[in-house]
Parts: sequence; C-alpha cells; structure tokens
Amino acid sequence: MNSVLRSLIGASVAVGAVLAVAGPAAASHEIVIGLECDRTGPTQVVGVNLCPGYDDYIALVNSKGGVAGHKLKVIEIDHEYKVPAAVEAYERQKKDGAVLIGLYGTPQTYALTQKLTEDRIPGTSPGFGRADATDGTRYPYIFPIAATYWSQATAAVKFAGDQLKGLRGKKIAYLFYDNPAGREPIPVLENLAKREEFQLRLFAVPPPGVEMGAQVLDIAQRYRADFVVAHLFGRSPSVSIKELKRIGYPLRKVVSFVWGAAEADIDAAGGYAVAEGYNCLEFAGVGENYPVLTEIREMYKKEGREPTKEMASTVYYNRGVLIAAIHVEAIRNALRAKPDGTITGEDVKRGFERIRDFTLGGLVPPLEITPTDHEGGGWVQVWQVRGGKLVRETDWFKAYSDVIQAELRQAAMKKS
Amino acid sequence: MIHRECGILKTSYEADMALYPLPIARWTVGVIAALMFLALPLAVGEYYLSLVNLISIAVVGAIGLNILTGVAGQISVGHGAFMSVGAYTAANLAVRLHAPFWVALPLGGLVAAAVGAVIGIPSLRIKGLYLAIATLAGQFIIEWTINHVTWISGGVQASIEVPRPRLFGVAIASQRAMYFFLLVVVVVAIVAALNLMRGRVGRAFVAIRDQDIAAEIIGIDIFRYKLLAFAISSFYAGVTGVLYTYYLGVANYEQFQIGTSIDYLAMIIIGGLGSVLGAIFGAVFVTLMPIVLRYATETVGHLMFAPSDVANVTTNLRLIFFGGLIILFLVVEPEGLERLWRNVRNYFRVWPFAY
Amino acid sequence: MLDWQFGALLLSNGVLIGLMYSLIALGFVLVYKATDAFNFAQGEFVMFSGLLVAVGLGRYGAPLWLAVGAALLLMAAFGFGLERVVLRPMIGRPVIGVIMATIGLAAVLRGFGPLVWGAATKALPLPIPDAPIVLGPLLIPPIQVVGAATSLVFLAAFGWFFLRSRAGIAMRAVADSQQVAMAMGIDVERYFAIAWAMTGVVSALGGVVWGNLLGVDVQLSLVGLKVFPVVILGGMDSVPGAVVGGLIVGVVENVAAGYLDPYVGGGTKDFAPYLLMIAALMIRPYGIFGKEIIERV
Repeated sequence: MNSVLRSLIGASVAVGAVLAVAGPAAASHEIVIGLECDRTGPTQVVGVNLCPGYDDYIALVNSKGGVAGHKLKVIEIDHEYKVPAAVEAYERQKKDGAVLIGLYGTPQTYALTQKLTEDRIPGTSPGFGRADATDGTRYPYIFPIAATYWSQATAAVKFAGDQLKGLRGKKIAYLFYDNPAGREPIPVLENLAKREEFQLRLFAVPPPGVEMGAQVLDIAQRYRADFVVAHLFGRSPSVSIKELKRIGYPLRKVVSFVWGAAEADIDAAGGYAVAEGYNCLEFAGVGENYPVLTEIREMYKKEGREPTKEMASTVYYNRGVLIAAIHVEAIRNALRAKPDGTITGEDVKRGFERIRDFTLGGLVPPLEITPTDHEGGGWVQVWQVRGGKLVRETDWFKAYSDVIQAELRQAAMKKS
Repeated sequence: MIHRECGILKTSYEADMALYPLPIARWTVGVIAALMFLALPLAVGEYYLSLVNLISIAVVGAIGLNILTGVAGQISVGHGAFMSVGAYTAANLAVRLHAPFWVALPLGGLVAAAVGAVIGIPSLRIKGLYLAIATLAGQFIIEWTINHVTWISGGVQASIEVPRPRLFGVAIASQRAMYFFLLVVVVVAIVAALNLMRGRVGRAFVAIRDQDIAAEIIGIDIFRYKLLAFAISSFYAGVTGVLYTYYLGVANYEQFQIGTSIDYLAMIIIGGLGSVLGAIFGAVFVTLMPIVLRYATETVGHLMFAPSDVANVTTNLRLIFFGGLIILFLVVEPEGLERLWRNVRNYFRVWPFAY
Repeated sequence: MLDWQFGALLLSNGVLIGLMYSLIALGFVLVYKATDAFNFAQGEFVMFSGLLVAVGLGRYGAPLWLAVGAALLLMAAFGFGLERVVLRPMIGRPVIGVIMATIGLAAVLRGFGPLVWGAATKALPLPIPDAPIVLGPLLIPPIQVVGAATSLVFLAAFGWFFLRSRAGIAMRAVADSQQVAMAMGIDVERYFAIAWAMTGVVSALGGVVWGNLLGVDVQLSLVGLKVFPVVILGGMDSVPGAVVGGLIVGVVENVAAGYLDPYVGGGTKDFAPYLLMIAALMIRPYGIFGKEIIERV
C-alpha cells in the first residue's frame, strides 16, 4: 500500500506544480472574453460547429490587430451542459478578468443571471436562454442578441400564415421537446391562436426525443395539421424529419425553430433528398456567400492551413461567427469611450446597447439593441431545403412585436 | 506516532463511543476548524472560495446519499430528484409566502424527506438492483411532475428566482459570506450524520444492510427503518437542493437530473461507502476532478494538438478519464479513498514502529 | 380518420418499436442471465457499435457486409476484453460496484467515439427502402420490420441456445451458482467471456438497426434508458421476457401518447412505462417470465 500511496502523493504534487505554473494570466491591454461552449454533452452537435466559428472570427480580428489596437483573448470552457460546471467556469472566467461572457444553454443562463447582474458582467444567450431577458430594464446584464423563443414563435406563425394564405380556422400543430425551453413559447402561441383564430394543438416529445412515432401519427393522420411548428433539439429534429416523411406529411408544411435547422440535422435525417421542402428559421445567414467567411478562409490560407472542416456546417458555424461579431462590436463601442483598454463589464454592457446598423454583409440581421430591448428586434430568416441545399426563402423579418411586448409586461408584473 | 492511544482507557460505553475518543481527536478538529474558519477565507481569492462552496454543497448531498446507500444499503439513483423537490419547495415558499431563508431551508428538507419516504415504499417488497430501478423511475416521475405542473414549477420555464438570502439581517451576497454559512451547514450535517451512525438508528441501518432477515428476526422493524433511511437521506438532499438554489439564485430542475444522481453515486463509491469521511472525500474528488483535468489537458494539450482540436480533445478526454477513474477505483480499491486514508493513518499511528 | 384506424396505426407502430426495444434489452438480459452483472451501459454498447458501422461505411468506405462484420467482431472482442479487465475483479463484490463500473464504462464509451471520429451525427445507410409499406390503414416502415424480425430471430436462437445447447445450459448453471458450477467442472470464466461477447454481437446488430433509424451520435445511447422498463416487466433474466416486455412498453408508450397526451398536455409517453414498471415492481418484481426468488420477511 505504501508504494501506491507514495505514487499518489507524487502524482498530486506533480499536478499541483502544473497548476501553479499553469493558468496563464491575461497580458496587459488584452481584452478577455469568457466563452462557454459545449463540444461534449447533449448539445455537442451544435457546439462542435459553433465554437470554431466563434474562435475563427476572433482569430480574424486579432490577425488584423485586434479591436482598436487591443487583442482579444477568449477563455473557452466546455461545461457539458451541466450547471455546477457552468458556474465554476464563470467564476474562473471572472477571475481571469473576463468583461463579457458568452453563455451556452438555457439552464445555465438561468443559473448565472443573478451572478452576472451582481458582478456587472454582461452575458449573451443568442437563440436560447430566457425570452423575458429581452426586457433590458429587468435584466440589464443579459443580452439575447438574437431571436428568442418567443420571437421565433411569432415568426413561425407568421410564416405559416403566409404559406397557408391566412390563419383563420386552420390547424397548427406545435411539436416540441418537453423541457422548459421547449415549453417557453407556449403562452405566446396560445395568445396568437386566440388572436388569429386558428386551432393550436400541442404535441410534446419527452426527452430524449428519439422516438416520436405516436405524435407524428397523430399530427398527420388524426389531427391532420395544416402546418407544423417544430421546436426540437439535439437528435429529435432529424428524427422528426424522418418520421414525418415516412408518414407522408409534406415537409414544406413544417417550419423548425433555430436549433432544429442545420445541415447536421438534415444529414442525420438521411440527406437533402429526404428533407426536401423542410423550412428552417435561422438567426444568422446560412451558406458560404458572405464576405467575412471569405476573409476567414483567406486567413487560413495565409497561415498555410486548410480551413477548418466545421466551416462546411454553415448554419452553426455562421452562428458562432455572428456571436463573435456582435461581441466584438460591443467591445468596439466600449473602447470608444475608453480607448486605453481598461474597460469593465459595465462598459461592454453599454457597448452592447449601442449596437445598430451592423450586418456583416447580410450574415447578421439589422439588429438594434437598446437599453430596453436586449434582443435587437427578434429578426429571423426562413431557409428551405430545396434541390440539395438550403435556399433562402424570405428576407429578415419579425412579427407580432406587440404580442411579445404584452408577454414581457405580463412577466414583469408576475415577478414584482 | 505520538503514541496517541497509550494510557487512554475507557471505562464506560459512552466514553468508548464518544465523538472524540482520544484527546488528539479534539486537537485535530480544533486545528481543522481554525484553518477552515479563519485561515482559508483570508488566504484565498473569490474563485477558490467559489470552488469550496460548490464542494461544500456537494458534501451535504453526498453525506445524505451515503446514509441511504452506504449505511442502510438501499441503492438509490433518485438523489437528484429529491434535491429538486427541496429546491422548488424553498423557492416557492420564498416567492409566494416571502418565507425567510432560515425557514425555507429546513422546510425544503422536510418536504423532500416526505417525498423520499414515498419513493421508498417499494423498498418493502424489493431490494438491491430492483430498488435501484424503482428509484430511477422515481427520479423520472418527479422530473416529469415538476415539468408539467406549473403550480410547482412556476411557469413553463420551470425556473423560480429567489432573492438573496438574508440571515440575521445580513445579506449573504459574496462568495465569502456564502462560504461561512455553508461551512456551518456542513459542520451541522457532518455532526448529525456521525451521531446518527453512532446511535440506535444507525446500528439498525447497518443491521439492515448486512443481514436484513436476521435484523427482522431480532425485532428491528425493517420497513420502518428503511423508510426512515429514505427520509433522512432525502432531507439531506432537499437541503442540498435549497443550498444550490440560493447559491445560484434560481431553482431549476434541469440541474438535478439523472446525471447528477449518478455523480453523487460516484462520489460515495469513490469516497468509500458507509463512512462520513468517505462521503467528504468523494465529494471533493468528484467535484474537483473535471476542473483539475481541464487544467491539465489544457496545459499539456497545447503541446500535442492544434488549438482548434484541443477543445475537442480536452472535453472528450475528460469524459474518458472520469469513467476510467471510476472503473480504476472500483477495481483497484473498492473501498474507496477512505480506505486509502485509513491506511495512511494506521501507518502513522504506530510510526516509527512497524506494528 | 376513424378512431379504430388510428388505434390500429398506434398499435402497429408500438409493436414494431417495442420489438426494437427488445433488441437492446436482449443484450442486457444475456449478460444478466449468464453473469448476474447489471449492464448500465447497454445503450452505449448499441451506440458504439452503431458508430463503428457508420464510420466503417462512411469514413472508410467499406461495403456493408465488411463494416457490419468488422463491427460484430470488434464488439465481441470488446466484450471479451471488458470481462477480463473490468468485471473479473468485480466478482463477489457488492452489486452497486458492478453498476458503477458499467456507469464508468458508459462515460468512457461516450467520450471515446467523438474523440476519435468527431461528434457530428453520422448517417447509417442501409439498403432498405425508406417508403413505408402500406397495409390498409397501416403504414409500416421497412426498417422497423427488419429490426423486429432481427429481434424475433434472436429470440428463437437464444431460446434454443439456453434450453438445448450444452453451452447454454452451462451458462445457466453458472448463473445459478458459480461455486457449484465450478465444482462440476464448468469453466466459469470462459462462459462469462462468451456471455459478454454475445452481448457485444447483439448490441452490434441493435446498433445497426437503431443507427439507421435515428442516425448515429452520442445521444443514441439514450435509447438505452428504455431497457429498464422492458426488463423489469419481462424479467431480467428471461429472453422471451425481453421480447414480451419490449412489446408491452412499445404499445403502452404509443397508446398513452395517442390517447392520454391531449388530456395531460403531453409527455405521457415516457411516464407511462415507468408507472407500469413501478406497479410491476410492487406486484411482481421478477417480471412476467423472470425467475422468482422468494424472500419474504
């Protein structure tokens, strides 16, 4: 036992030595961003493509000398979609001087809201998180910066209405993953159902969402929905595509929220031929035709490397780029007030609230983030699977802002 | 090594089973208390205190599970669900009835204890593996209930925000303040568990674990004690859930899913089943391991892989290490870290002699 | 459509999916039957074998028979190795130790795949048409028929194996009492290894079928959670029990989802089998076909 003991002691000493030496501190004039991004865990399909997008944009900015002369340093931590790990990651990023946190995951956003508010560090939760954080006065340090689930819901209904030439009397099915994120849009949808006088039926898919035969059968054969609004994550979108197709339900009558709408889902469903007609809501541009992507590819070429293979998965990769770009814009705005680089979280927060007219060649929607609207407008685009690739179906649009405002007011009243 | 046990003779059962059987035990506890209460908070920064806070909360949970699985022998895979019961109880009390923190904490534990006793009812008929599966079912059913019953979960988002806890008029806002509070809770939890195991109830639990038929024959009502074990363990779990809720500021059942239950099982197995010290070791180990692994792979990984690959390698390697370490511990040292510690201690007990 | 037609659709879907659940449960039952070990990592076995086949087809461009054959061999070898390295030292230890060992193994398998082959979801194309077979009001996906048929074939094969063949009877003896089996001259260790290898093979085929149905990535392992209601209902050490349990779970899920969901707001699909399972645990914990060990105190 003694030898085992000695080796244990030796090992821990070694680890301790490594720890003491490791943990690089930020160099002066470097601006530190904390990014939580999961390349493992239930959402790894997303993170594996999104994180490289983020990293590449930051590398691009740094290769051009940084933001107003200051380089950016990203502390990227994977928390496997677990909350204690996310909290520890946040504490570590804070310790290393992060002035901005890119959050990842709805439960994590909820868990860190109070801490971020107390520590006065802004956190972004694009396309997930809590929809009521749109209200910048109630949640001053949480920035959705992209369409929340409420906005996605209203946009989906509007799209369905346009496709069906009117909503009155039609039957809409809401197929969703049965967890809080999936249920978040339900009040908004029910509101719209009353207002536009259409029938709404909810079809919950319990986790892990790998088997939904009965729900799909119901939608297609018994309820006979005129349109399906799908809000699924992880494995379930591809399963839903396959099941709906098997039942013979036309995929062009399906519109999916942003996390069920990527190349990976289409591939997993069996390819573009299978998913023909599937409509996807996107909060970032899709595809390779954006100047910033060309610049990133050139950056790789200059370094003599092949562009990372995740670039092909443009839906998630481009979202990573979008998040990074908005982060950089906020920092740029903050640096205008303090050019010497000693910005704090408070400055970055104000930097966010000045973002407008920033579209990155069409990759980013015309966001307008203000102290009261941290979402930027709730813009989405609809892309459709057509002829072997994703084709843009609509331009940036948002819908039923008044319904969302009413919902926000109601949420504010409930809390106080 | 200081011939600590020389000359110390016990003349009564109480003395033999005392919490501090030897004078050196009192000294040791005093030194540790001084370290934890005085030295540590002054010496380290907020980040490390936050780690210690996370560990403290995990310790409470691990001790609870240890009472059920290690001492009473009932395998439970539903620990996470009881935590969420405690969490939501406290959150609802805080938000709806404006209950102060020191009321919400024990009430959260009590409600969790009640639910735990209900989940423990199958233990009347089944044991071992089957009971584990029943508790697994309990975990899923509780999750489903919280998700679907908005009266409990406070809305479709299933998250309830709680205000900052106030104790004796002082708001517990910083990591440091939280640290002191958690330390007190942990001490209470440890002492309670130790006393439980020393007393009649603890002995009944051990009897049930070792030979339940014999225990029934000599007159221990095993069903009642099994339910009690579930209740006590769930009380600890509920308290853990409440502590988490107040630490994070929000109650959300997604933090307490099957992965969490398995993590706590890993804690008590790696630490050593059946002892409070083992639960503490296990909690420290399992909480710190991902963090240490991440530091290690990040530092070393840069030397071996391209930067974009490092993140991918780091995270998957961490999973492999986690699983591998569990297997390693089970194969090499099935009684866990606590046995390793005991070996060290026994060695030093008679040092410099060999025996 | 008429309600009975909808009901028939649900039923047929339930039966077929249920038989596919049985395929996974069979792997579990084999191990438990022969070695008394509880394989918490059954879902990961299925996922990993599916991954092997998908990678073989996709990345290495191998023909189907080669990829599947290689996966079968690799999984069998993996089963052998696992038994030797991890499970042999665990013999005689408390059951919670074996559970945790398989949980640790599950974590290792979940990290290993993405580490080597990347985390993106991979498709597992099989030469099976996607269009459903139409039988009156029933729409039957061919892949589910294949899965169900595989299940039934295994049922027959393993049923015969355990009842008639020497090796099967030897395994049952080992499961009954290791000491006595050893005293009778049965090489216990060899049969343990064979049992685990068989699980590997069954998992591999399960992985192929489920991988085609859902696409292969780490989340595929979650389908392994279905194993528990199936084996509890059917009996943890019974091969026909795995099939019957799977049928029950599949049908109950679909019927619950179809008829109860509208009243409860969804999600009964997962709920119902677990409720049923708890009821079974209280009334007849050893399942419909399981061996009853009577112990009343």
